[in-house]
Amino acid sequence: MLENIEKSHPADCFLYTDSVPSVWCPGCGIGTVINTFIQAVEKSSFSSDKVCVVSGMGCTGKVAEYLKFNSFNKIDGNLIEYAAKLKLQNSDRKIVVFSNNADFLISGAKDLVEIGEKGIELLVIHVNNIIYTITEYKAIPTTPFMRASADKNFELPFNIPHLAKECGATYVARWTPLRAGWLMYSMIDSLSKRGFSVIEVISPCLMYYPDSKRIGDAAELMKFYDDNSVIKHGELTEDLDIRVHNRIILGKFVDKK
Amino acid sequence: MKVFATGVKVARGEVHILKDMCKGCHFCVTYCPMDVLEISTEFNTKGYHFPIVKNQDDCINCGLCGMICPDFAIWSTLKEQKEVVEL
Repeated sequence: MLENIEKSHPADCFLYTDSVPSVWCPGCGIGTVINTFIQAVEKSSFSSDKVCVVSGMGCTGKVAEYLKFNSFNKIDGNLIEYAAKLKLQNSDRKIVVFSNNADFLISGAKDLVEIGEKGIELLVIHVNNIIYTITEYKAIPTTPFMRASADKNFELPFNIPHLAKECGATYVARWTPLRAGWLMYSMIDSLSKRGFSVIEVISPCLMYYPDSKRIGDAAELMKFYDDNSVIKHGELTEDLDIRVHNRIILGKFVDKK
Repeated sequence: MKVFATGVKVARGEVHILKDMCKGCHFCVTYCPMDVLEISTEFNTKGYHFPIVKNQDDCINCGLCGMICPDFAIWSTLKEQKEVVEL
């Protein structure tokens, strides 16, 4: 068995190898998203100098520390606005934003309207883990109906693909992390788009999941998400909100030229 | 391994594992389509059970383990294109 153990991973040229393995929990979906993103950049025609990675606060904010692209960490909200400014100053580069619920919905959503209207070229990879990771009992815009734990949430969850489409996005898709091949080809497609594109990744939070506080069964929880999701390409974005009894609808919903 | 047709060339892969990078999420063991991997009984330096190769000959180099690993600990490479002879 010793001959199978080698020193370097093929993706190591895109990583700060002294800081991996990462600080995320074992089996967190953000690691899979980074892995597929690196493979997407490798397979697309982009050179890695032309890719800028911007990340914000929370667990997803750590993405910029590990990737060896030109990476920036905007710690205090207004992530989308910062990325748009970066794009306006560096028009030859591709800006990739790794956002979570706090960055994208709470303090960055007002900029989406303007960016979509002006058609600024951004790729937003939104990692939606249904909760705020730190304050797990608080209801937020994407908490499913009747699912916050302290007191039940009586409002329907926010529909991110619909928001992105109405703001004028040219590419909208939604995947779970274990559909990694689909996710990778979505990233390759959207890296070549000339407009504002959004990929939502529904990734469960493993530690602070409100229903089951069991630790160490990442594969089981991911399997639950995969069993309860169904792929429907081109579904109307009005029907995409996450309800308790519905299946999560995955797929590619908007693809403009 | 299941054999569906003869006279067809099937890719054979080789699995590489960095055991000290592993954090024990066991995605690769759960989702491997050919059941190549299994969980070891030993611990690595962080105290997790890492995957080990159970039957190397079954690997078809689909690349799923390398694609879904969150910690860059496992990948597969193409070894040969082997012709399937017997049913």
